Amino acid sequence: MAQKKNAVIVGGGTSKFGVRQAHILDMIQEAARACANDIPGLKPADIDGLIVATTMAGRHSSALNTAPLVVHRLGLKPTSLCIRLDTLCAGSNSAVIVAKGMIESGIAEVILITGAEKVYMPQRWETNYTQLAVNDHDWDSAMGLGVPPPFFAMIAKMHMKRYGTTKEQMAHVSVTNYAYGDGHVNGHFAGRTLTMEQALEARLIADPFGLYDCCPLSDGASAIIVASEERAKAMSDKPLVYLRGTGQHATHSMSAGWPGDTLAEWPHLKKAGEVAFKNAKLTPKDMDVIQTHDCFTISEIIELEELGFCNKGEGGAFAASGAIGINGVIPTNTDGGLLVYGHPFGASGARQAIEICKQLQGRAIHQVKNAAFGLTHNLSGTCAQHTVVVYGKEPVK
Amino acid sequence: MAELQKAEITGTPALNGTYISEMDMWPFETQEFNRIYPFYDNLRAGKFTTTKCKKCGHVTYPPQVICPKCWAEELEWVELPQRAKVVTLTETQAGAPIGFEPPLIMAWLTFGEKSPLKHLLGRIIHCKEGELKEGDEVKFVTFSVPAHPIEVKKDTKICDRVFYAFEPVK
Repeated sequence: MAQKKNAVIVGGGTSKFGVRQAHILDMIQEAARACANDIPGLKPADIDGLIVATTMAGRHSSALNTAPLVVHRLGLKPTSLCIRLDTLCAGSNSAVIVAKGMIESGIAEVILITGAEKVYMPQRWETNYTQLAVNDHDWDSAMGLGVPPPFFAMIAKMHMKRYGTTKEQMAHVSVTNYAYGDGHVNGHFAGRTLTMEQALEARLIADPFGLYDCCPLSDGASAIIVASEERAKAMSDKPLVYLRGTGQHATHSMSAGWPGDTLAEWPHLKKAGEVAFKNAKLTPKDMDVIQTHDCFTISEIIELEELGFCNKGEGGAFAASGAIGINGVIPTNTDGGLLVYGHPFGASGARQAIEICKQLQGRAIHQVKNAAFGLTHNLSGTCAQHTVVVYGKEPVK
Repeated sequence: MAELQKAEITGTPALNGTYISEMDMWPFETQEFNRIYPFYDNLRAGKFTTTKCKKCGHVTYPPQVICPKCWAEELEWVELPQRAKVVTLTETQAGAPIGFEPPLIMAWLTFGEKSPLKHLLGRIIHCKEGELKEGDEVKFVTFSVPAHPIEVKKDTKICDRVFYAFEPVK
């Protein structure tokens, strides 16, 4: 058997995220163009594999079998792989796991991953209504579980009660992420700033969350190239960023199967992180920069705990200490994250991958000095599943 | 606005007045579309039930066709406790999905150490905003939800439906 190849992320780009006057296929074309701008040596004919990550394309754009539509619009002729993949908010991060395996095994050489959503419809009610279908519909959704804020608000209340986490600590997360969002012109809230006072005085969305504790829903698309080391060297002279380890863990779909002692404990994330670190032959201490799924401020706090960057229950104080800032112990969501860059579900994992790629190549907008190892994490659904990918400037030996 | 839409706005005239099942907010509860339909029959009788594995004894929720623990097909229906305690709750004033009138109150419920069903996200009805507190006891309650049609050969059968929620114990 041939020796295992190494898979690397070469680069990528996103469309403008936000409430867009565009079709989902328009935004995928914009993201592909941005990806090509980032990798001048990339030719569409080089791409032999395609993974399209989207949740809402079937319902919102009447595009159930999305991959051939993307093939046509981008002028691709894939020969190894041409699929749509859906794990909700982790779609394009899951695609990275698939691409890694396909490239390491030699089945594919150059894979385009694009994630995209058209969330906003001619009538706004449809967006929230569609979200009834992204949970365990006949059970939790029929109880009214649709949009995420109420569920995560209960998580926050429980974390505050059990561990003493405060609204001020949560506000530190959003203020930090707004500072990181500065300069990312394609972000949903590009150009906006946030102070502690504004964060704490914002209108209530779902107690205890104010407006800035919640990420927006966004239209948008992202695109990245994952390739074999050899092909990456041929198309780019930038430092190689290796896909070192991955982990994905789901334990349930419905609330009755929640795996934690309470909503404040996320053992399924802890497990996904442990698997990814083991495969990457690294530990949380090795990480220089991370992108975690900050759909709400409390999410980032719990993720810092469960991924092993601080002790359980201390995530709030850890974030408020400045640990997640650019000069902190573990700079987190350095492109603004979901809170500021926005959240088109299937596009978010690849957006995170772009930021880690740039950080490890030394060309990020808010650059972490000498960043050599990084991580991306997405949760999906109402915290039903966790997806973790670990990156490094060196391959696993 | 709703009346105006029905009368004058016809994006796809062929669909006017038709029931679109893929947009339905409630389950398809009937035997024709669901092998766990006894759950809904039991709801109509005021019972909160689920399936228990006859091979390994595992009780699962929601009810299933095979046991998720040992994959046995031999399952039986058992009753679940109808009273629970509120661990934490959330009240939605704005942004609730269409069909759920605000305030939409949802609570994280626990059913006690002895219950095979440990916790559940439950909608709380018959309750005013600000009335429910952590630690309160709630009880199971059923109500009818809109019926839907299904085609049976050349006829249309109307399927009555039911669902459940919880209400404060007063």
